[in-house]
Amino acid sequence: MPSRFIDLPQGTLDLLILRTLSLEPLHGWAVSERIQQISSDVLRVQQGSLYPALHRLERRGLIKARWGTSENNRKAKFYELTKAGRREFEIEQDAWQKLTAAVSQILETA
Amino acid sequence: MFLHDLLFRLRALMRHPAVENELDDELRFHLEQQTDKYLKSGMSEAEVKRRVRLEFGGLDKVKDDCREARGVSLVESLVQDLHYSARTLLHSPAFTACAVLTLALGIGANTAIFSVVNTVLLNPLPYSNPQELLAARQNEALPNLKDMQQRTNSFASSGGVNITLMDFTGKGEPVRVHAALVDGGLFTTLGVQPMLGRWISANEDVKGGPPNVVASYAFWRDFLGADPDVLGRTIRLSDNSFTVIGVMPKNFALPRELADVFVSLWTGYPEAAPERGVHFMHTYWRLKPGVGLTQAQADIAQADRRLAEEFPDTERERGTLLIPLRELLVGDVRPALLVLFGAVGLVLLIACANFAMLLMARAVTRQRELMIRVSLGARNSRLIRQRLTESTLIALVGGAVGLLAAKAGTTLLLALKPAELHHMDAIPMDVRVFMFVFAISLLTGLLFGLLPAWSAARGDIAEALRENARTTTTGVSRSPLRSFLVTAELALALILLAGAGLLIKGFLRLRSVDPGFNSSNVISMYLQLPGTRYPNIPMQTNFRRELLARINAFPGVEAAMITDLPLAGNFVGHRVVIDGVPTTAVGTEPMAQVLSVMGEYFGVMQIPIHAGRAFSAMDREGQPRVAIVNETFVRQLLPGQNPIGSRINWARADDPNDWMTIIGVVSDVKHSGLNQPVDPAIYQPFSQNDEAWRKWMTLVIRTRVPVAGVIEDVKKQVWSLDSQIPLSDIQSMDDLLAVSLAQERFNMLLLGSFAVLAVVLAGVGIYGMVAYRVNQRTHEIGVHMALGAQHRDVLRLVMKDAVKLGLLGITLGLVGAIALTRVMVSLLFKVKPTDPVTLIGVALLLAAVAMLAGYIPARRALSVHPMTALRSE
Repeated sequence: MPSRFIDLPQGTLDLLILRTLSLEPLHGWAVSERIQQISSDVLRVQQGSLYPALHRLERRGLIKARWGTSENNRKAKFYELTKAGRREFEIEQDAWQKLTAAVSQILETA
Repeated sequence: MFLHDLLFRLRALMRHPAVENELDDELRFHLEQQTDKYLKSGMSEAEVKRRVRLEFGGLDKVKDDCREARGVSLVESLVQDLHYSARTLLHSPAFTACAVLTLALGIGANTAIFSVVNTVLLNPLPYSNPQELLAARQNEALPNLKDMQQRTNSFASSGGVNITLMDFTGKGEPVRVHAALVDGGLFTTLGVQPMLGRWISANEDVKGGPPNVVASYAFWRDFLGADPDVLGRTIRLSDNSFTVIGVMPKNFALPRELADVFVSLWTGYPEAAPERGVHFMHTYWRLKPGVGLTQAQADIAQADRRLAEEFPDTERERGTLLIPLRELLVGDVRPALLVLFGAVGLVLLIACANFAMLLMARAVTRQRELMIRVSLGARNSRLIRQRLTESTLIALVGGAVGLLAAKAGTTLLLALKPAELHHMDAIPMDVRVFMFVFAISLLTGLLFGLLPAWSAARGDIAEALRENARTTTTGVSRSPLRSFLVTAELALALILLAGAGLLIKGFLRLRSVDPGFNSSNVISMYLQLPGTRYPNIPMQTNFRRELLARINAFPGVEAAMITDLPLAGNFVGHRVVIDGVPTTAVGTEPMAQVLSVMGEYFGVMQIPIHAGRAFSAMDREGQPRVAIVNETFVRQLLPGQNPIGSRINWARADDPNDWMTIIGVVSDVKHSGLNQPVDPAIYQPFSQNDEAWRKWMTLVIRTRVPVAGVIEDVKKQVWSLDSQIPLSDIQSMDDLLAVSLAQERFNMLLLGSFAVLAVVLAGVGIYGMVAYRVNQRTHEIGVHMALGAQHRDVLRLVMKDAVKLGLLGITLGLVGAIALTRVMVSLLFKVKPTDPVTLIGVALLLAAVAMLAGYIPARRALSVHPMTALRSE
């Protein structure tokens, strides 16, 4: 029986995070919820692996963090894209689209 | 981007607790949100807890990954690892002590030798812009030096110096001091300023110039009372008055020469200053900026040619060779030091191999702990880093202990008094030495920690574990790394052993060289007559004759004298002509050492007389001139003739018809060193001396009883004849002989001890391997013995590998030795670097040691009782 979930290909988590944050600043839990929602629960993100990715992106200066208040009035750490992050996102998105287009073209024609 | 990264990491580091708290808060927030979400959907609390944890993954691992992602972890986990390592190492003191000691030996020996290399080869010379300084191989006469400086364009300046002994008569006993007879350019060339006063100026450095003296710091401190107002004071040197005009700084020394005072050649030895033929000054040259050695050498060569044309009498055979000053100073010792440095490097490699094996053995015993940590989620990279931290920590501690050992080692090296360290009273350990220790410790720890860690990752440990669990029945499990290390150790040890063996053989050959005289029970001392009070030969002869008579009057004492002792490093050379042999071109006549003697010199030194007779009391002034020559003289200059009765004279003698008749031939004496060829030599009686400037002499005194009191008695006799004459260089001929072997002994002892160290370490390596094997196979051995195996079979079982690896290592070592001992060729005396006897000998020796080292633990296997072994299951 095929699994309902697809494991994330290597390196795509960063792209998904950048995409999610490109709409609005979010805290970590919301990022994970958003990814699952948008992907109609097809993609499975081990929630724990989200945080190292966030911290890595922060270190690379692609996103920045600030403490704010969540919807339910709790202290939460919000992440937002930096200028560099937006640029990086566009480059990565472009690359990804080219890659998938190429791969599906091969799959369809070959 | 980089700056951001750095600031980010820094913040992580500086604000460590805050960052940790933030991380906790962030993750807690996530878990709480998720919990809330599921609780709202109506799940049971237990189910919620389970799902949240499952979806999130291991909290500690996530935190660890976050830290890693932030880049904190590098420093932080290092601190953690260090703490952990220190704790575990303290828990196993035996292992720690072994490892630290092994490395301390290796690093200590390396550091000691590096300190010497650093001091002798690497430290800059204490002169300004030392790279511009050159020295001439040949000695030079002052007029030539002046001409050459004038006729060349390559040199900013040049200067010369000759060391002579002068008697300083101040208060108390007369003292013999080393006086540097200099030319005014010397100090400009070396680029050194006096500490007090000034240097001898160019207009004073001329014929009839004022008798000024510059004192060395030590002379000023010891004999001038460190008087700051010393300038202008008058001191007496060899019966002449000199005015002190300067004091040199404390750290100043001439490149090769020992000097207490500096005077102009024109005032210190005015007779020699204008003599073109008196080549007796060491010369130093400073290149003009931008001029290279080749250009300078060509420049000097044209000056040489002009001098040779103008003064064929004395300058025909010129060929001044300029070499960088450093090359001149260390050129001779460099090969020995580099060989020793290489050898000690091999010792370190062997120590490192043992270190790696210790780490491997430890990894096996700690297998359970490692497995637990892996199952708890520790990542492989983290474990390797942990082990590297541990090995590096050990190596650094080993390095620190090694540094202490090196300190002691350098003291020992100095005590051996090798020639090149003779003038050093300390081998300083400077920043470079500390850097060296730190670097090799770090490298050792990382590299040799990585080897076993890497091998563990590749399954050696799993292998060992299987052995532990005894799931293997065939029992043939080998650790390839361990085998490699043991083989390499043996190969390296053999190379060292071969080097040491060759040096020992060369040394024994050298020591067995007959010096040509019997050194036992002979003491020697040097004295020089002041020219002012003994200006002519008759006065000198009277003094000598009277002194010898008085000393020979002591009971049980036989005394004689000679100008220059064998092995003392000096002689006067003369060109000679032989009656009946057509003379060659001026300046190309054969050269011979000329040694004046008085008393029964050949009897006292027990130099055999081969033909003719020794000098008698009748061979004295006013009588026909006589000479005794050595065998080499006969062989080279009178081949096929009867030497007795042949007549010789100095080339271009004042009276060409005043021949000396050869009355005897004596056996060759190794005048210039046991490993040096013998030159033709002429002995003549002091009383028939025709050169008043040869006013020095060396007493040789043979005693039937040990010498204790004799020296004082001789001093008294000298001073009762003349209270102003100091005696110096008082030493036994045995000591002189030993000093002449000091360099070779130094090389041999050092390389020998490295070889011993290497063999011991390699032995320990084999021991460890076999012991490990025996431990691992106690059970199997028990089974074998229960089944009736003989001792021989058991030995074969546990030693088979050791023997195989031993043979392989020794074979590889032989190949390596043949390839490498070539670099030692300049250190060996009459031994080929591939001397088969030595190579085979050391191979057998090492094989024996290896067998023994393997046999000791193997024997333990024999004492295994089958029942105990089986029960140990």
